[in-house]
Amino acid sequence: MKRILSPLGRLILPHLRGRIGWALLAAGLLLYPLVFTGAFYRDVGVTFLLAAISASAWNIVGGYAGQVSVGHSMFFGLGAYTPLLFYSLWGWSPMAGIPAGIALSIALAVVIGMPTFRLTGHYFSMATIAVAELIRIFTSTWTFVGAAIGLQGPATARGWWDLTFRGELPYYYIFLAVLGVVLFTTAAIERRRFGFYLRAIKSSERAARSLGVPVRRTKMQALALSAAFTSVAGSLYVTKTGFIDPDSGFGILISVQMVIVAALGGAGLLFGPLLGAAILIPLQTATNSWFGGGGSGLTYILYGGIIVVIARFEPGGLLELWHRVVPERWRRAYAA
Amino acid sequence: MLLEAQNVSKAFGSFRAVAGADLAVEEGEIIGLIGPNGAGKSTFFNCIAGDTLPTTGRIIFDGQDVTRASPEAHARAGIGRTFQVPATFQDMTVLDNVMVGAFLRHSHRNDARDHARQIVELTGLRPDQPGRSLGTPGRKRLGIARVLATGPRLLLLDESLAGLTPTELQEAIALVRRIHAMGITIVIVEHIMEVIMTLTKRVLVFNQGHVIASGTPEAVVRDEAVIEAYLGRAHRRPPPVPPPQAGEG
Repeated sequence: MKRILSPLGRLILPHLRGRIGWALLAAGLLLYPLVFTGAFYRDVGVTFLLAAISASAWNIVGGYAGQVSVGHSMFFGLGAYTPLLFYSLWGWSPMAGIPAGIALSIALAVVIGMPTFRLTGHYFSMATIAVAELIRIFTSTWTFVGAAIGLQGPATARGWWDLTFRGELPYYYIFLAVLGVVLFTTAAIERRRFGFYLRAIKSSERAARSLGVPVRRTKMQALALSAAFTSVAGSLYVTKTGFIDPDSGFGILISVQMVIVAALGGAGLLFGPLLGAAILIPLQTATNSWFGGGGSGLTYILYGGIIVVIARFEPGGLLELWHRVVPERWRRAYAA
Repeated sequence: MLLEAQNVSKAFGSFRAVAGADLAVEEGEIIGLIGPNGAGKSTFFNCIAGDTLPTTGRIIFDGQDVTRASPEAHARAGIGRTFQVPATFQDMTVLDNVMVGAFLRHSHRNDARDHARQIVELTGLRPDQPGRSLGTPGRKRLGIARVLATGPRLLLLDESLAGLTPTELQEAIALVRRIHAMGITIVIVEHIMEVIMTLTKRVLVFNQGHVIASGTPEAVVRDEAVIEAYLGRAHRRPPPVPPPQAGEG
């Protein structure tokens, strides 16, 4: 009986458990704000979702393709600024600015990618930092986009299309839907040729090229896709805060947070960024609320500490640790 | 003629690594490239594979000029290569590694997987094994499997059989024979004379960037110029110390 069951089980269980895993996760995330109804908990939830979206977007090019960008705030900022710029110029709904932000981010990704993808490893990372910082400094002196003061969104909603809500709940579910889209897209990529090519490029560009992988084009596509999703994250951020300035849009901390959240959970793994955000965001919120305004500097210390610990002990992130520690037989059933 | 390299030279600054080398490969041949270390065979090999742009000369594959084509264009055209130090995709299983190659001609995942499975079977690897857990022989074998999955007409093997134990070597030789039997033309760079003697019918010997001899392996090892390149010139009055040998080659 067991001999009949076990091959059958091996065939069905991974799919079943994979589906169950997705369903449990989805149910948990859907129910969270209904169980934890306090404004504080809901706010943490929204912040968590935003961090998970940004880091999952980063993960496509930084994790899967191994092109560690530390300048993704440039796309986040574009996504954040464009809706508010449209609003302040013509009074348009932020929704009109979201696709424009995506288009601008993809255009920027292509312009940035062409020269920087000639660089590898640390040189690529440093180039992305430099570009993002240039954009931040430029933005803070450009009065058209509000210079150092930044831009403001609609104070009160004229209608649902302004995406300005009183409570946290609508934001929570909008963000959750977007996270779902990002994760489903990433999961689809993982299974396709594109995903295999990304992982091959991460491991060895030269070997990938020798097997006919169009390395430059694949990296460019990954960056463009990643930029588009990061831009959406930026747009979501401003619909919630209704305000953007150079630091909260293009600041280096935005980029660093994406890297750390993904790396903490596991870069290049589908649920890595989710796990990273689930750990980091409550921690960050806690330090901020314990230490008040003076605690914001602690975020840097926290990030620095996490970088050191991950780099020293677990470069693959926590999911990698889980994969190593949990026995293989038990784990196989859970693999999606 | 499947591959024709005409008057190929490669200079790094003033140093001419390859100086006017010619190579013509007929479909179905196995050709060996040998020579002491630093003779220019690897540079020449990289020129053919599209990894290095030759300073002068032309490389024609199946009637097409591929001299300036990118490595990925070479793969698409049907020229496959392995690396001396196999760059295994560490985070992927053996099957996934081979699938990367298979995706070149099979854009759908299931087709690519089926094709990769056949190749993995042919090379005697375990499909589920993680890339990082393979030893040197496994990595070299995987390197061959991966490129085989791209469906090459010409396979360039860069010391794919070096560093193996005698048993592994025999298995690897058998694998190369099986690949050849599939109708794939092979150019092989190798230091191990046993491999060259058993596998190839024709050998090119490189020294200081020039092709100094070519012919059957048996004839080449008796060639005066070849012996001199490897061992140095015999002096009329032997010096008190034996003449230095050229590297490990």
